[in-house]
Amino acid sequence: MEAMEIDAEKHLQRKQSLYESLDEKFRIEKETYRGQQYSQIYFARLHMMRTLIYSLIPNWKPHLPVCTVLGLEEGKECIIVGTLYKHMKLKPCILDEYSKERSVAPLVKPHNFMHSDDSLVLEDESGRVKLGGTMLLPSVYVTGTVVGLHGKETSAGEFLVQDILDADLPPQIELPLKSREDKYVVFVSGLSVGSSTSNPLQFQLLVDHITGHLGDEKEQGIAAQIVHVVIAGNSVAVPRGLLNGQNLASKDQSRLSEPIKELDILLTQIAAGLPLDIMPGPDDPANFSLPQQPLHRCLFPGSSAYNSFRSCTNPHSFELENIRFLGTSGQNVDDLEKYSEAKDKLEFMERTLRWRHLAPTAPNTLGCYPFTDRDPFLIESCPHVYFVGNQDKYETRLIKGSEGQVVRLICIPKFCETGVAVVLNMRNLECHALSFGTEFSS
Amino acid sequence: MASGNMKGYFKQKKSGGGRGIAKPKPSKKSTKIQPTHVATLGSDVVQPSTLSAHNLQDDEYDGNETVLRQFDMNMAYGPCLGMSRLARWERAQRLGLNPPKEIETLLKQGKARADCLWDGCV
Repeated sequence: MEAMEIDAEKHLQRKQSLYESLDEKFRIEKETYRGQQYSQIYFARLHMMRTLIYSLIPNWKPHLPVCTVLGLEEGKECIIVGTLYKHMKLKPCILDEYSKERSVAPLVKPHNFMHSDDSLVLEDESGRVKLGGTMLLPSVYVTGTVVGLHGKETSAGEFLVQDILDADLPPQIELPLKSREDKYVVFVSGLSVGSSTSNPLQFQLLVDHITGHLGDEKEQGIAAQIVHVVIAGNSVAVPRGLLNGQNLASKDQSRLSEPIKELDILLTQIAAGLPLDIMPGPDDPANFSLPQQPLHRCLFPGSSAYNSFRSCTNPHSFELENIRFLGTSGQNVDDLEKYSEAKDKLEFMERTLRWRHLAPTAPNTLGCYPFTDRDPFLIESCPHVYFVGNQDKYETRLIKGSEGQVVRLICIPKFCETGVAVVLNMRNLECHALSFGTEFSS
Repeated sequence: MASGNMKGYFKQKKSGGGRGIAKPKPSKKSTKIQPTHVATLGSDVVQPSTLSAHNLQDDEYDGNETVLRQFDMNMAYGPCLGMSRLARWERAQRLGLNPPKEIETLLKQGKARADCLWDGCV
């Protein structure tokens, strides 16, 4: 009988990728608040999108005249371009708090504020016009999208829509066709460290797998092909019961910071092995309105010592070996779900790409910084991978554009609830799920 | 209410908005300061007379301020509140709207008001 051989020590080298951050436009340190209102960001959005849509009209319907809302003439077929506003009777209004007929029931109850009576209005600098007809479905569109419409004004003063022009997918930089090797990017979100639903063992298993501390040589070989990790929001669950406006006792103070310390320990393990991007989410200790600024380095004393640790904005945009990634922690799609409907979350994502705007409902129903000179959520270059975090389940689809653009859409599920992370192969943009369980079936 | 500077207070209020009933004063000056290169959308009839009438009453505001106000009110360059005039000019430039160069020179010289006409009044 042969003695068991100890595997000869093999050094497995982790693969590397060239990384470039494109988050500059989401930073707000250089912005000054001078009392401006949201009209400025809407103007910037309308102007940029309108210029773009005007350039698309000659390929769409070149024979029709283009006019402003105020320049509409009754019965004359033309094209108008403007920002959509959706009038929704169920949308919560701040004035409802002062209404005399207020009942005891909470004001903001329904999760989706749609109603069959919702109507759309098109607005530009000169005026607004109510939109009629059956072509433009209020259930699909939301306030803040800029579209071109072909139609004519009716005697009732409405604009009867005959056709719609969306900006469609932006131009994409082509990926080189040379055969690449398998390199993987791991996406995870909703770790919610510190919450009652999160399982520390599950997260530890994920970390061990990524860093190559799990499994045999073959397993480790696969892990060595992971070149990057992206954490898309909601990494920590701060015990909010403590934040009730009273002074914190010292023992409560340490309770408040425990989840973050626990997260830092685990992130240090990842950062020691490979590059890591962490994005803030709606529950993280970051600012509320989009674009959320990077989580402060002082929260991660252990992991920020590594230059492989990057705290990023939400939304987050970066390039890995010329593959462009764009993603959010979920707020943009979750807000769309409240004010419109689609067959699945991926369809919402696809719509934001075709409208060339990451978060069209900002600033209407989604908190947003009042930029004056630009709208940073406009998508100028089509990403190759578009991801959204903190969703209910893992979903993915490959969509194609009219000019050959190819985009991999990914919905990253909440890890604390599903135990699922997503792995993307940069060679062919294929995705698969990585699930971790800690329950042994009997 | 400032008791010491009442005259100045009212003066400020009138000219600060260009609002109110204006009695257009016939004067050669009003026709001269109407710049032809600044495009104003709509309200061609109402605007120049209201602005220039008030300008004639005050020594503080000269033709330069009228030009800048026309720039403030021009819808093509977007809303004016909440931005300095220079920032708004630079935004217009960046968006390819070709704002008149004279406005930039006026603002960079530093003699004119840096903020739009509604600033501090709304």
